[in-house]
Amino acid sequence: MQSISLTQNYFELFDLPIQFEIDKAALSAQFLRLQTSYHPDKFVNSSDEERRFSLQITGYLNEALDTLKSIRLRAYYLLTLKGVSFNDDRDTTTDMPYLLEQMEIRQSIEDVEQTDDPMDELDKLRQIITVRQDDVEQNFVTNYQQGNYTDAKQAVLKLRYCERIFGEIQRMEDRLDDF
Amino acid sequence: MALLQISEPGMTSAPHQHRLAAGIDLGTTHSLVATVRSGSADTLADSQQQHLLPSVVHYSKDRPPLVGLEALAKANKDPLNTLASVKRLMGRGQNDLATIDGHLPYQFAETDSSVPRIQTVAGAVSAIEVSAEILKALRQRAEDSLGDILSGVVITVPAYFDDAQREATRDAAKLANLTVYRLINEPTAAAIAYGLDQQTSGTIAVYDLGGGTFDISILRLSKGVFEVLSTGGNSALGGDDFDYAIAEWILQQLPNAVADDQALLRQCLTLARQAKETLSHHETTEITLDHWQGTLSRTNFEALIAPLVKKTLSSCRRALRDAKLNKDEIDDVILVGGSTRVPSVREAVNAFFERTAHSKLDPDKVVAIGAARQADILAGNKPDQEMLLLDVIPLSLGIEMMGGLVDKVIHRNTAIPITRAQEFTTFKDGQTALSIHILQGERETVETNRSLGKFVLHGIPPMVAGAARIKVTFQVDADGLLNVDAQELTTGTRSNIEIKPSYGLTDNEIETMLRSSIDNAQDDVELRSLREQQIEARRTLEALNAAMESDDETLLSEEERQQLYAGHSELAATCKTSEDSEVIKAAIKKLEKSAEFYVERRMNSSVKKAMAGQQINDI
Repeated sequence: MQSISLTQNYFELFDLPIQFEIDKAALSAQFLRLQTSYHPDKFVNSSDEERRFSLQITGYLNEALDTLKSIRLRAYYLLTLKGVSFNDDRDTTTDMPYLLEQMEIRQSIEDVEQTDDPMDELDKLRQIITVRQDDVEQNFVTNYQQGNYTDAKQAVLKLRYCERIFGEIQRMEDRLDDF
Repeated sequence: MALLQISEPGMTSAPHQHRLAAGIDLGTTHSLVATVRSGSADTLADSQQQHLLPSVVHYSKDRPPLVGLEALAKANKDPLNTLASVKRLMGRGQNDLATIDGHLPYQFAETDSSVPRIQTVAGAVSAIEVSAEILKALRQRAEDSLGDILSGVVITVPAYFDDAQREATRDAAKLANLTVYRLINEPTAAAIAYGLDQQTSGTIAVYDLGGGTFDISILRLSKGVFEVLSTGGNSALGGDDFDYAIAEWILQQLPNAVADDQALLRQCLTLARQAKETLSHHETTEITLDHWQGTLSRTNFEALIAPLVKKTLSSCRRALRDAKLNKDEIDDVILVGGSTRVPSVREAVNAFFERTAHSKLDPDKVVAIGAARQADILAGNKPDQEMLLLDVIPLSLGIEMMGGLVDKVIHRNTAIPITRAQEFTTFKDGQTALSIHILQGERETVETNRSLGKFVLHGIPPMVAGAARIKVTFQVDADGLLNVDAQELTTGTRSNIEIKPSYGLTDNEIETMLRSSIDNAQDDVELRSLREQQIEARRTLEALNAAMESDDETLLSEEERQQLYAGHSELAATCKTSEDSEVIKAAIKKLEKSAEFYVERRMNSSVKKAMAGQQINDI
């Protein structure tokens, strides 16, 4: 059994370099390798302590995978590894034009129900946000690589807005589908 | 005799130690049990060659409850004591009854417990106890046909079951005295059966419409890895609802039907089920009730159930979105559950996924078969089989915030097990306690989600508002069950709850039920302990055999060897002839005592070997 420590950071855990770009195939392969060793299904007949240990490790593995798979969480995590601190309740982006555009898109989501093909409208809005997200992502990578963490943090905060809008699109889709 | 085994460190288990494990599909309308025998997984039949056990329990004053077909036969004559479809009540609270009891024609008892109880002549029973009777009947069937006691089981639950419903299922298993290796989701179990028995691989959608629940799961299957990408559904929608739609139609046609006539409703439901089944093969069906006769066409029936089918398709659409997949990225669509036999359901699924969905494995049995495969592997009977099951949580988990909104801590379709913490703070100066309300569901507001439990974290030191840091940790295990822990970080004050009180039985209630079920079934207990002793005796005999075979001649003199053989034969004989568990127990003790010297010698010899620096694994 490969040894594992819960103090390793997520990149070390999956044997990946600490950087924004991720080798998804390597991530997935290493994740499956670790899950295969530690999954609770392998410890059904083991002691309580081993079962608890397995639950903790696999919980940590899933959390790590979710973090590295998400653009915003990965960026956020990279900055915390550099000692940047976040206050999720108070931090907010100062880019006014960006915020205004986000508000407009939110309004458009609210209004899709009045359009002829709401699902199609939502798809279009999702594409617009995806493009914005790609821009912000590029901006993050540049600033992060140059060690410009204050601006990199601004990018992470903007990514949070994108994520929220994706969430609202999803909620609207659920609502249109009667959930 | 454990010591005999300990002294064989190179071996992980004794040679004949095959653990008997079973998969149980505890369904709304019927249940099944399956096991793996000589490599192939099959459902087990009763003495009448019936595989499906109707999930019906009949209670009477003077004898133990009847389960299955015998109980079903009482449904028309004694509707109030014949309980069916109780799965719909699992994990539901008193205040849910208003929304579901229209479909459950029972009398509910007044009770202090948060769990609703149905009034029967044998007293008030909860859905958990009724389910336990069904589980006991399945356990009995498995043990009768396998001739041995089950070590553990895998029980399937609808993927869309919430935490309270899963807890209730676990509690039912506890009452039935079953060791549960794992609760797994029904569509996941079906995927295992297809993956292992049919070598299905790729991205698949499992459309599972049972008697009372609907699930859609999207999975990726490759080389023994079963990864659930998303799941959705409705834990209160199934073929039962098709029956109700027809029954209501019949009631509307009847000239002078009395509202609330339970016996009449039961009669209509029986006719409705027959009509539904006939319409799977015929275009029309005649229905006769007393002096009334009517015709239901397939087209009429399809119109009656169309809104229900449409609901299932909405869930499919959402599951695809959650998996971030398009329809054309699905390689295979699999139909599971008896209700997928309805032609219009199949047609709707085919049209939605733009391909022909199939059910190569029997849609009634496939879930139990997959569960049996999983149980066999979890029991350790297949050390070489590489299998990894990665499932997700079906419904988001969150905490109530100021203003009645829900803050989600774990989102739906997050892979489990998962541990996730979130920090909260106080909102008043000097606040020393914080009430934490845990909810499950997708809506934004507290009232529209399911309340799983409330607890209070006391002992927060008085500080200004916003200064305290309270970390709430959610841990969801591989069964999809939640555990919550809260901690004030500046002082370390801790509080931990098992999510139970809102809709579950308390530990006290479970204990009382366990005790009363033992009182009611004294014979059952005696029979069980006899079998347990018989098995224990067989294990002891095997362990002794294995030890003596593996030893060279140095540990025992010929005389000692003969003495042990004599003891061995004596126990074997007692085991065959005696019907008294205490007698067998005493005989086991006797053999153990006479073999004590041998156990000691083996221990010493193995310690010596280890001391000599020999690698245990090399032996």
